Amino acid sequence: MQFDDKVPIYYQIKNYLYHRIIAGQLAPGDKVPAVRQLAVDLTVNVNTVQRALSEMVTEQVLISKRGRGNFVTEDVTQIAALKHHLIVTYVQQFYHQVHGLELSDDEIVQELRTYIATQKGADK
Amino acid sequence: MSNALAITNLTYRKNYQTILTDVNLTITPGKVVGLLGENGAGKTTLMRLIADLAKGYRGTIAVGDATAGVQRRIAVSFSEALQGFRPTTKLSAVRDFYARVYGDFSAKKYLDLITFLQLDDDLELAKLSKGTREKFIIALTLSREATLYLLDEPFSGIDSMSRKRIISSIIKWKRPEATMIISDHYVTEIAPLLDEVVVIKDRTICAHKSSDAIRQEFGIGVEAFYESLYEGAIQHDDL
Repeated sequence: MQFDDKVPIYYQIKNYLYHRIIAGQLAPGDKVPAVRQLAVDLTVNVNTVQRALSEMVTEQVLISKRGRGNFVTEDVTQIAALKHHLIVTYVQQFYHQVHGLELSDDEIVQELRTYIATQKGADK
Repeated sequence: MSNALAITNLTYRKNYQTILTDVNLTITPGKVVGLLGENGAGKTTLMRLIADLAKGYRGTIAVGDATAGVQRRIAVSFSEALQGFRPTTKLSAVRDFYARVYGDFSAKKYLDLITFLQLDDDLELAKLSKGTREKFIIALTLSREATLYLLDEPFSGIDSMSRKRIISSIIKWKRPEATMIISDHYVTEIAPLLDEVVVIKDRTICAHKSSDAIRQEFGIGVEAFYESLYEGAIQHDDL
């Protein structure tokens, strides 16, 4: 994984794990790789991974079991909420960027529809 | 808990020239710290002073509770350039020397490290490429169970595969409570590894910040932060 040096690394690690959880690569109840293993896989500092995981435990996306490691929550509403949160975040970013180009809300929706349609056309 | 490293009012002169002046630095245990600065800024000198390899400074240097030079030598593992050895010395002989001199040298860790770094310790020093030599120095340095590790430009002039192996070995073998200072003048590739960065400029430390704080507060990368300090775009007062 390549990191963007302008964004805090712990934040990027969290995002990476969020996506894996939402995509089901880390399913509810799955054990998250050990801190050091994650650090080696992502080529980052152990402390940074630790910070990302602790925050995810606080957010209750991960459940920490003493002596056994971290597990993805089995509470599917929690995961649904996480997914919704990510969607809102991305839509927000998109909306603010496009809005800055002086487009009306209707035009933004229209542009998005057109884009989706052409994408679907390109896939066929 | 005492600090991993505490330097107060350090000044060092050599041959009537000031090399370092008014250096103050405190590092808490467990951190991986990048020591950045141009060639000749004084990075190596600072490391040699911490490791008690250079003497005649003013001020105090404490590694944990150790302030006396002899004690600091025990607590610090410094990546030495192996210049004291004859070119025909076998790597295994260098290892034997380390095991004799340093009570904290772990034969098991050494074996794990040379296996991981793909080193053949039956070779002679003179036969090593620059990258292999650097890997061997890392293996020796990390084989000690020290409290503070000083890696002096471990990535200079080596190929990217060796660099990746060295970075992985640092992540794998650094004990959580051990502290590590890595000097470099080029930071991009090791940026994700660093908890904090310390920048040396004009013979003193001009910045000491957490890497993620730099990204959060300035919205820039560690490399850009370092460059802007050298170009004067970020002033000392902004920190």
